[in-house]
Amino acid sequence: MIDAVKLHLQGIKSALAVRMAYRADFFISIFIMLLVEALVPLVTYLIYKSGASLPGWNMYEALLIQGVFLLSRGISFPFFFGMVWNTILRVQDGTFDLLLIKPRSVLQMLIVTGFDSEDLGKLLGGIILFSVSLANIPFPGLELWLKFFALFLVSLVVMFGFGLILSGFGIVWIGNYRVYEIFFSIANFGMYPANIFSKGVITFITAVLPVAILGFVPASQLLGRPAEGTLITVVSSFVFLFLSFLFWKAMFRRYNSAGG
Amino acid sequence: MIINVENLKKTFKSYERGNTLREAVASLFVRKTKLVEAVKGISFSIDKGELVGFLGPNGAGKSTTLKILTGILFPTSGNVDIMGYTPWKDRKKYVARIGAVFGQKSQLLWDIPPLDAFNLNKAIYSIPDSEFNKKLNFMVELLEVQNVVKKPTRLLSLGERMKCEFIMAMLHSPEIVFLDEPTIGLDVIAKEKIREFILEMNKQGITFILTTHDLGDIEQLAKRVIVINHGDLIFDNTIEALRNHLGTKKLVSVSTQNPLPKFDVPGVLVKNKLSDYNAELELDVNTMGLNQFIDYINKNSTINDLTLQELPIEEVIKNLYSI
Repeated sequence: MIDAVKLHLQGIKSALAVRMAYRADFFISIFIMLLVEALVPLVTYLIYKSGASLPGWNMYEALLIQGVFLLSRGISFPFFFGMVWNTILRVQDGTFDLLLIKPRSVLQMLIVTGFDSEDLGKLLGGIILFSVSLANIPFPGLELWLKFFALFLVSLVVMFGFGLILSGFGIVWIGNYRVYEIFFSIANFGMYPANIFSKGVITFITAVLPVAILGFVPASQLLGRPAEGTLITVVSSFVFLFLSFLFWKAMFRRYNSAGG
Repeated sequence: MIINVENLKKTFKSYERGNTLREAVASLFVRKTKLVEAVKGISFSIDKGELVGFLGPNGAGKSTTLKILTGILFPTSGNVDIMGYTPWKDRKKYVARIGAVFGQKSQLLWDIPPLDAFNLNKAIYSIPDSEFNKKLNFMVELLEVQNVVKKPTRLLSLGERMKCEFIMAMLHSPEIVFLDEPTIGLDVIAKEKIREFILEMNKQGITFILTTHDLGDIEQLAKRVIVINHGDLIFDNTIEALRNHLGTKKLVSVSTQNPLPKFDVPGVLVKNKLSDYNAELELDVNTMGLNQFIDYINKNSTINDLTLQELPIEEVIKNLYSI
C-alpha cells in the first residue's frame, strides 16, 4: 500500500514537472479550466436573478449541488480520470505496450502516468463554488457532514466506474475522444435537483446509472433534505463500479497492440 | 536454458474496408474479416547469457514474436517458458525481471530530464535507494552521459536519448533484455557506444534478444541469429553458419590487361561489370575451383589484380528473405 502511494506521488511529481516546463501554459490552462467550469453556475445564477428558479430549491441550494458536482469532478479528473485520455493516446500511438512491460497493474500505470494537473482548475472551481454556497445556507451539523462525506466518496466510486468504461472504449475504439461527450451528456444530469426530471428519469439516474450521486444526492444530504432512495443509489453505485471493471477487463483482453 | 518457445502461433483478425467510397460506406455496416497468420508455429530456445539477433523483413512476424515474449500479446497457441514464467500469464512477476528498449517508442518523458523518468522507474520497480544510485552511476559513467541526464529530454540528440533509454530499461537489473531496433537512426559514433555498452552488459551475464534491420548490429554483437519470414522460423544458427549459408560463394574483384572473357561457365555470376577490363563476380568455389577460375581468365586474358572476399552478409539475408 505504501509502495502504491509512493508510486502515485512520484507520478504526480513527474506530471507536475512536465507541466511546469511550460509555466505560463500551466497557469493559463488552469485559469481557462476554471472559467469553463464557471459557465453552468453562472447560467444558474442568471436564471435565479431573472426571477425564474428550479422548483423547490433556492439559488444557493442549487449552486451547492453544482459545487459538489464540480468537486467530485475536480478530484477525479486530475487524480484518476486521466486514465481515459491516457488510454486513448497510448493505444493510438502504440505506447500502451510500454505499460504492459512494467511490473504493475496496467490500470494503476494508466492512472499514475495520467495525472492531469490542468484539471486542478476544476477542483479550485469546486472549492470556490462549494464554499460560497455553503456560506449562504444554514451551516450543517456534524451528522450531516459525515453522511455527506460518505456519499461524496461514493460519487468518486461512480466517477471511477465511468473512467473504467471510457478507458475500456479507448482500448478498442482507437483514437476516439467522443467518449467524453458520451460521459458529459449522461453525467450532467447529476448537477441538477432530481425532482425537476420525470419519474422515469429519476429512477434511471438514481438506480440504473447512478449519476445523481455525482452532485444531487450528497448535496441534498448536506442540506438536510436526503434524496429518496439514497440507499438504492449507493448500492447501484457499487454495482456500477463492479460492472465497469468487468467491462474494462473484457476490453483489455481484446487489446491487440499497435503494429510493429 | 532461459527461454524455451514451442510451436508458437499468433493469428490476428483484420478487417477489409475496401478503397472506394461505396466499399467504405458498406464497411460501416458489414465488414469482411480476414485471418492473418503472423506467427505460424515457431520453436527455439535460448541459453542464459546468449546474445541472439532476431532478423526478418518488415511484416515477417518478429515484432509479434517479441511482443509475445515480453508479455504484451497473448499467442493463439503454443508454449513459452522464460525463467519459469509464462509471460502473458505471470506478467507482473515476469516483467520485473526483464527489460526492453524500443528504438521507436520512448520510455522517457519528453519535457523533463531523463533523471526524472529514472526516478519514476525507481518507484515503479521499487528499487532501493542504494541499489538505484549504484546502478545509475555505473551506467551513466559507462555511457558517458553525466551532464545529459539532467537536461530536458527534448533537448537531447537521438544518440543521447537512446543511451538514456538503455539506462531506463536496465536500472532494475533485468536478466533478459529485449532490444527492438536500438540503433535506428543513430550516427556511427553513437552506434559504436551503444554496441560497446550491450557487449559489456552481456559480459556481465545479461541475455539479449536483438531485433534489428542494421546488419552491422548483428555482425558486431550477435553470436547467434534467428531469421523469421512469413511467420516461419527459417534460420537458427551461428553468425558463421549464416555467412556460409549460401555455400562456398565468394565475391571476386578482377582486373585484366586484355578484355575480360565471357563468363558463361557454371559457378561464375557477373554481379557488376565495371568495364571490359574490370568486373565484380560471384564465384562458387565448389563448382569452379579457384585455380580453375584463375586459369580460365589467364587463358583468355592476363590478370592484373584479383581480390577475394566473403559474400557480404546482406547478400545472405537477401537470399533468406526471398525464400
